Amino acid sequence: MAQTYENTDEILAARRAYNDTLAQAHDARRATWFPLLIVALLMLVPALQFVGNYNYVIHLMLYTLMYVTMAAGWNILGGYTGYISLGHSVFFAVGGYFAGMIFARLGISTIIMAPVAGLVCAALGYLIGLITLRVRGPSFIISSLALVMIFRILFEKWQFIGGAAGLSLPINDLSVQWAKLPYYYAFLAMAVFGVWASYRVRHSKFGLGLRAISKDEVKAESAGIDTRRYKVLAFAMSAFLFGAAGAVWGEYLTYVRPNIFIHILYFSVWPALMCILGGKGTIAGPVVGAVLIVAFNEFFVATLGSSTIHILVTGMIMALTLMFFPLGLVGTLAKHRRLPRILNWD
Amino acid sequence: MLEVKNLCKYFGGIHAVEDCSFKVEKGSITALIGPNGAGKTTAFNCISRTMVPTKGEVWLDGERIDRLRPHKITAKGLSRTFQISRNLADMTVLENVICQSRINGWRDLFKPAMSPQEIDKAMGILDFLNITRIAYEDGSNLSYGQKKLMDLAALLMSDPKIILLDEPAGGVNPTLLEEIVGHIRKLNEQGMTVLIVEHNMELIMRLSQRVVVMAAGTVIAEGSPEEVQKDPAVLDAYLGGAMEDAA
Repeated sequence: MAQTYENTDEILAARRAYNDTLAQAHDARRATWFPLLIVALLMLVPALQFVGNYNYVIHLMLYTLMYVTMAAGWNILGGYTGYISLGHSVFFAVGGYFAGMIFARLGISTIIMAPVAGLVCAALGYLIGLITLRVRGPSFIISSLALVMIFRILFEKWQFIGGAAGLSLPINDLSVQWAKLPYYYAFLAMAVFGVWASYRVRHSKFGLGLRAISKDEVKAESAGIDTRRYKVLAFAMSAFLFGAAGAVWGEYLTYVRPNIFIHILYFSVWPALMCILGGKGTIAGPVVGAVLIVAFNEFFVATLGSSTIHILVTGMIMALTLMFFPLGLVGTLAKHRRLPRILNWD
Repeated sequence: MLEVKNLCKYFGGIHAVEDCSFKVEKGSITALIGPNGAGKTTAFNCISRTMVPTKGEVWLDGERIDRLRPHKITAKGLSRTFQISRNLADMTVLENVICQSRINGWRDLFKPAMSPQEIDKAMGILDFLNITRIAYEDGSNLSYGQKKLMDLAALLMSDPKIILLDEPAGGVNPTLLEEIVGHIRKLNEQGMTVLIVEHNMELIMRLSQRVVVMAAGTVIAEGSPEEVQKDPAVLDAYLGGAMEDAA
């Protein structure tokens, strides 16, 4: 009998120890300094131009930062809310066209217009969300694909905005050495804003509601959450970030063309893959995913050439990673409490 | 306090709830019983608007609520649990509970997810239910009984006036059953109105002051537990059906 009591005590002690680890994991201190350090370093990168020609490095950084913006935006809808959209390139294109038209006609830089382009996309996202967010799961994914087709036809046929040939935009008059600089800082600012926004959302009542919706919508609704409003608002927020990114990308490329801007692989699927690879619903996940996918893609373009083979190899790495990290890199490591503290931005 | 008038819910040709009317008095524990397939859970779903009723009216404190969306009904003070406990996985018990606290308007949306006051309140509720030890456990790691308790905790977070419990004792062990009964009693003593769907007759007879019996989608008897037990229509619904099946 005494043996049994001893056992019970042991079990209770083990239980208490386990509960303590749970509580600890819950209030793990954040390594806020790490993302801030990265931002500080990124701000200094263009100084490389003083010692040589690093335009390629700057382009690559800028490109990655654009994807960080979009992946962070996609994460609000796809990661927190659980609505997988493959149609967000529509907002990228709408943002690009809106700011591009204003730049071409009125000469107002897209960098200034980016927030406005974002708001236009958010309003559009709100309206589209009211219709498409009534369905979930595969039906929602298909509705998002339909969106891409509708807008692609619209952009190609609408002559006012250049039809299939698109819009040409003026080139800025900075020297080659410094030409990328304004866009670089614009994308850096947007990426910081995107990650900050997704952090704020995650730690708000709104974010808690979104996570509840992604797990069980019926329960969330009976818990007093206005699911329709939450979902539509999440959709609008993610559209905002896509629109702002698209706006500046247009001026950077010096043209806006439907087949490039509404490209489903690069601007719809990639941000989604980045979130999934890095870890949906985490804050560091989209950033890690964006860096990795851009890096893989660039590496295989360099070694295998810009054929379709590089897409194949990137895809294979992605599939292999997800076999071992089913919740994405950050998500899986966090679940097993192996996540390095510097990547715990949640 | 809660009044259901001529509630109907049809699924195509199947009349799951047909012309169902009953009242729940303020401060009472009312039980909704009936054989399997009587339409109890469907009636519940229609009251909380998890399902849209085909016809009929639901009144809460003199206000018609059958046209409101579910989150509005919760805001009016009517909260429910589910027969098969629906909890939010990947969220801790604390988050599960706080998720159900009231939100007023746009401003509240961007307040911190869990304010210290809310954590205090939630911990208080968990303490009342004796489950503070699982506060940081993942919602999906709980046992069936713990899920039932967590549901109850989440329910209380929204400061309801009336709670609808769908089989709170279904599938839990006798010890926990006693615990849950104790909690419901204590809440009722504090003035909470309770509407409960349950199969466990013994529990119903002990707990409730009023029983509404449903069969084939409609109310066949209403009264105190003793009255209902003797009602021939009730005996027929429970035993008559069984005898016909046997024959």
